[in-house]
Amino acid sequence: MSYPSEWTLRRAIAFLAALGVGVATYIAVEAAGGDAPSCLAGSNGCATVARSSYSHVAGVNIAVFGIVGYVLLLASAFFADDLARFGGFLVALGGFGYSVFLTYIELFKIEAICQWCVGSAILMTILFLLNATRLITYTGAEAGPLPDRA
Amino acid sequence: MSEGDRRKQLLQLAAGAVFLAIAVVLVLIVVNASESEGGDTRLEGTREVNRSLQGIPQNEMVLGDPQAPVELVEFADLKCPYCKAFAEGVLPPIIENQVKKGQVKISYRVYTIIDDQSQPAGAAAFAAGRQGRGWNFVELFYRNQGNELKSYADDEFLEAIAKGAGVKDLSRWNSERAELEPEVEATTAEAQELGFTGTPSFAIMGPKTNGLQPIRTVGGTGDLEAAIVGAS
Repeated sequence: MSYPSEWTLRRAIAFLAALGVGVATYIAVEAAGGDAPSCLAGSNGCATVARSSYSHVAGVNIAVFGIVGYVLLLASAFFADDLARFGGFLVALGGFGYSVFLTYIELFKIEAICQWCVGSAILMTILFLLNATRLITYTGAEAGPLPDRA
Repeated sequence: MSEGDRRKQLLQLAAGAVFLAIAVVLVLIVVNASESEGGDTRLEGTREVNRSLQGIPQNEMVLGDPQAPVELVEFADLKCPYCKAFAEGVLPPIIENQVKKGQVKISYRVYTIIDDQSQPAGAAAFAAGRQGRGWNFVELFYRNQGNELKSYADDEFLEAIAKGAGVKDLSRWNSERAELEPEVEATTAEAQELGFTGTPSFAIMGPKTNGLQPIRTVGGTGDLEAAIVGAS
């Protein structure tokens, strides 16, 4: 089985993490301005989720935690050592786990779906898979871009 | 330590982190699931009430986003059958369409008109509000409301409602509900000052109102929606 090079994985992680920063920042900015993110097709799900008591942890909008997580993932993509591989994996794991929990809350507690939150959950899922692949395949490899492994 | 050992150790740590994450997510889900199911099964509507209010912010007796631009104020007596009818038929569309979207918040204030039990019942609701379960208490009380001419709302009944509503610290609720009876007297006096003579009565405050203004005729959801539009 062939794996993408670490350089390819890092570029993909950086791209998706940057997208995640954008999504989380949009949600946080809308919430800070007293609004809710706009859902497509006239759905009310985004407003319902944004106004729910689950949208804040210890008084802080969870989108802020999302921004921090995506920025850390973005930073991990700039380095090619074991610390970055392991750190990126742990952040992605935490983000993925929390996304699973939030999706459960949306479906079964709030009973509304926020398209932006689903988008972020999909990004976190892909980032978790990419970081897991990076960790398993390249841990112990020398720093720096590597050729493709066959 | 050799490079191979180090790699093995890091991957073992990663596997441990995965198991830990799975455990944490499962615990969070189980804890949240049990919170919504709780309550007294002898009461009617416990699950429905707690489910319908799940996720909507509650601050004391105010339901909805504290930043909502329009505040609808309801003056009601927990033993009043018309208030029950309004709670079950008139307010749900407002909660669903405007409160959940953060456009409106609803403040529940007590206006005692039925009998001597109205005041302690209202104070019990306020005490539940101190623990973020005021609206659960009110809605569950209405679901289990008895004949207004009977003295069914005794301490045992109120405690069952508090438990069903998900009030976590019952001893705190018990001590605070006595202290909050003057607050019930204050909201009753406020209703009288606004000129209300029956329950439920409604007032509204928003960007286009001059303070809290009484809504004179409320026959249904449409009247409240019109008042909200006028105040927005």
